[in-house]
Amino acid sequence: MDALVRALIPYVGRVCGAIALDRGDDAMQETFIAVLRNIRSLREPAALHGWVRRIAVREAIRAARGGREDPVDPDALVGLALAPVDVATVVDVRSTLAGLAPEQRAILVLRDIDGLSEAEAARLLGVPEGTVKSRLHRARSAFTRRWEP
Amino acid sequence: MIGSGQQWPVASLGPIARARALGASIPSAAWTEGILDAPYGTAWPWVADLEVSVPRFDTQVRKIRVLDRSEGAGAGPGAGPGAEKLRITASTLGIAVPFDVRLEDGFCLMQARARIYLVLMAAEPHDDGAHTRFFHLEAIPLPGTRFLRGHLQRVVDADFANLSRLAAQGF
Repeated sequence: MDALVRALIPYVGRVCGAIALDRGDDAMQETFIAVLRNIRSLREPAALHGWVRRIAVREAIRAARGGREDPVDPDALVGLALAPVDVATVVDVRSTLAGLAPEQRAILVLRDIDGLSEAEAARLLGVPEGTVKSRLHRARSAFTRRWEP
Repeated sequence: MIGSGQQWPVASLGPIARARALGASIPSAAWTEGILDAPYGTAWPWVADLEVSVPRFDTQVRKIRVLDRSEGAGAGPGAGPGAEKLRITASTLGIAVPFDVRLEDGFCLMQARARIYLVLMAAEPHDDGAHTRFFHLEAIPLPGTRFLRGHLQRVVDADFANLSRLAAQGF
């Protein structure tokens, strides 16, 4: 089990860090507890990575919301106010991410770190593909505004 | 795509969080966690010297012998710094039980060769390193052993009490 944990630490650390930010360490612990408690239910070893990804994203979003599990209404994200742009911090990824909703950060992670398609990301998050597209657009716009003086 | 050169925030799994996660997956696991009245820089090196430390705080173990030690072996991604693999024997009730040990800074996983017993110790600096947060777990990782948890809890509680006393005395 410890060998599995060590093998997964780098990947889970990236997912939890980018989505849960300051609560990333808590999300990481909860992810591994869920993974290790339920690993015997995983019948197909080839599905491990996708299964761990789903758990890590879920735990990271939950941690970012302060432990609340209630799903966010996708419509509520429309017109979400992004953090004010600070031109001095041109590539401050963390502060840009902090201005996004956890679900938007999850989309960025799934698309830009994991390389999932919009359809795959939508299935994993249980939202329509159109919601993924709009969240991704707003999230990337936030970065663009940060990086362009 | 967001540029891959940007520094994404990365979460970490400290030694105690790693030990908690491993313990949560074993039904019979009993553990205790608390603060030792000793600096981390003193406490962990003493604990990591298994031949000296374990027989002093674990009343079930009379003697530990390190048979083999391979530094840096199998550290792999995600491992803590300075990982070592050890082969040891732990003498209990006159029987020398072989264990495989993984020892890192703040993390020690001891598994009996026959996979019948598991011991985990983890530690992190507390109060800026002036004290030590310590986690100790013992388990019988076999099916149907959940009923032994009460006994194991008394064992780890006694071990932690001994360790606390030794820490307060400066080991």
